[in-house]
Amino acid sequence: MNQVVAIAVNTFKETIRDRVLAVIVVFALLMIVGGIWLGSISLGQQGRMMQDFGLVAVTAFGLIVAVFVAAGLVHKEVEKRTVFVLFSKPVSRAAFITGKFIGLCGTMGLVLAGMGGFLFLLVWLVAGDLSGMILVAVLMIYVQLLAIIAVTIFFSTLGSAILASVLGICVFVAGQLSHNVLSLTRLGHNAVTGGLSWIVYVIIPNFSAVDVKAGVVGESTLAWSQIGLWTAYLLAYVVVVLALATLVFRRKEF
Amino acid sequence: MLRRVAFVLVVLACAGGVVAYQVTRPSRAPASPRVFVPSPQFFEDFSPSFRTSIADAYYLGMVQYYGEHAVGDGRLDSLPQMVDLVTRLSPNFTRAYLFGAFALVDAGRPDAGYEVLKRGFARNPRDWHFPAYLGYFAYRFGTGQGKDLAAARWYQEAAAIPGAPSYLLRLAAALSAKGGEEKKAILMWGQVYLGGDKYVRQKAVTELDSLLPKEKGARMKAVAPLYSTMPKADFEALIAELFKDYAP
Repeated sequence: MNQVVAIAVNTFKETIRDRVLAVIVVFALLMIVGGIWLGSISLGQQGRMMQDFGLVAVTAFGLIVAVFVAAGLVHKEVEKRTVFVLFSKPVSRAAFITGKFIGLCGTMGLVLAGMGGFLFLLVWLVAGDLSGMILVAVLMIYVQLLAIIAVTIFFSTLGSAILASVLGICVFVAGQLSHNVLSLTRLGHNAVTGGLSWIVYVIIPNFSAVDVKAGVVGESTLAWSQIGLWTAYLLAYVVVVLALATLVFRRKEF
Repeated sequence: MLRRVAFVLVVLACAGGVVAYQVTRPSRAPASPRVFVPSPQFFEDFSPSFRTSIADAYYLGMVQYYGEHAVGDGRLDSLPQMVDLVTRLSPNFTRAYLFGAFALVDAGRPDAGYEVLKRGFARNPRDWHFPAYLGYFAYRFGTGQGKDLAAARWYQEAAAIPGAPSYLLRLAAALSAKGGEEKKAILMWGQVYLGGDKYVRQKAVTELDSLLPKEKGARMKAVAPLYSTMPKADFEALIAELFKDYAP
């Protein structure tokens, strides 16, 4: 347990000091502020535009941070050969992967809290709309990004950092289209393709089950039970993917 | 030293060239009134988690497109498709329906605007704006004898929705009378009287006075249906107003 905490704290410090992270966050905040301009040309729909495009900015920049930082986490350790020093001590592969994941979760939490809080305040001050749903939506985006971090770490144990980043983004996009894969399983008359589609549907994370942004702008009603179930599903997904990443990482010789 | 000066001069010349190029370009290329608008089905199928964001982006585009062409060449060829796309991706986006409907009038398609409002009302039955604007569209752009009654029916429907302003029922009553449905108009004016303040009550009495027959017996008979629609005290107060010029 102490090993996991030590690795997590170290990873958190390492990633939070990254200048690229600061640049991305500043850029995201500028995009969120840009929502004010979009709102001004929307014929009185300022609050809706700021919330909607602000959440898109939070998602997009959160994804960039998640994918590119997560892809380098394991690789950097291997390339710098610090992993040799680490594994010469009684540190398990599982503790290493879990620690790295938790550390980046902390960084991601801080980044999203900053962006979400900023968006919340901006919508409140500019549009006069005090909507706690923005914070719920940011929390949901955070849970989605945790799944992407886990998937990217898994891919980074298999191949290069660039490949892991690209695959991480692909999984995010595929997750948004999850329901289409489900449709494929129902459309085809071929049992083999139907079965394959079903396997793909189960493997990729289902990000389309709950549309948090639509809930924020009043387009759909979100039930707390639905949100809770979805969050539990994504957290379970994270555990499975991290276990797989550990299995793959265990087979590597250092 | 000379090299440094030359370098600075080259950079300045390049910067000047960049600015000059941009400044001398035409400020705005003439925009085409026909633009590509994807099918709503495409976005419904392939972007489930970003549907409202795409709808908002197209809504902003629709507003710009309208502004650009309504005061320019007056051609709004692609507007119906834009309104359709935005409202199908975001079915509860009230402003998009209302703006779209009135913009379609400028595009010479009030019929399409009417349909957009009907679709919006079907998706948002608790919003009185839709039947109220449908009433306006029916009255303003409808044709034939039945347009007053069609408008009256929409206004009546709007007035029945909680939160609707009181003038809607007055509009419905006035249009019902205009359309020839005096009995219905009398009942509506009775409701206006019941829910109104001093000024509104006086207005309802004046309208009822002009609608009701002048002969006392016939007037009594015409006003009788109001008895079951309001409390006794209000009914008696109304009768007193309507029959004050008649001998007891």
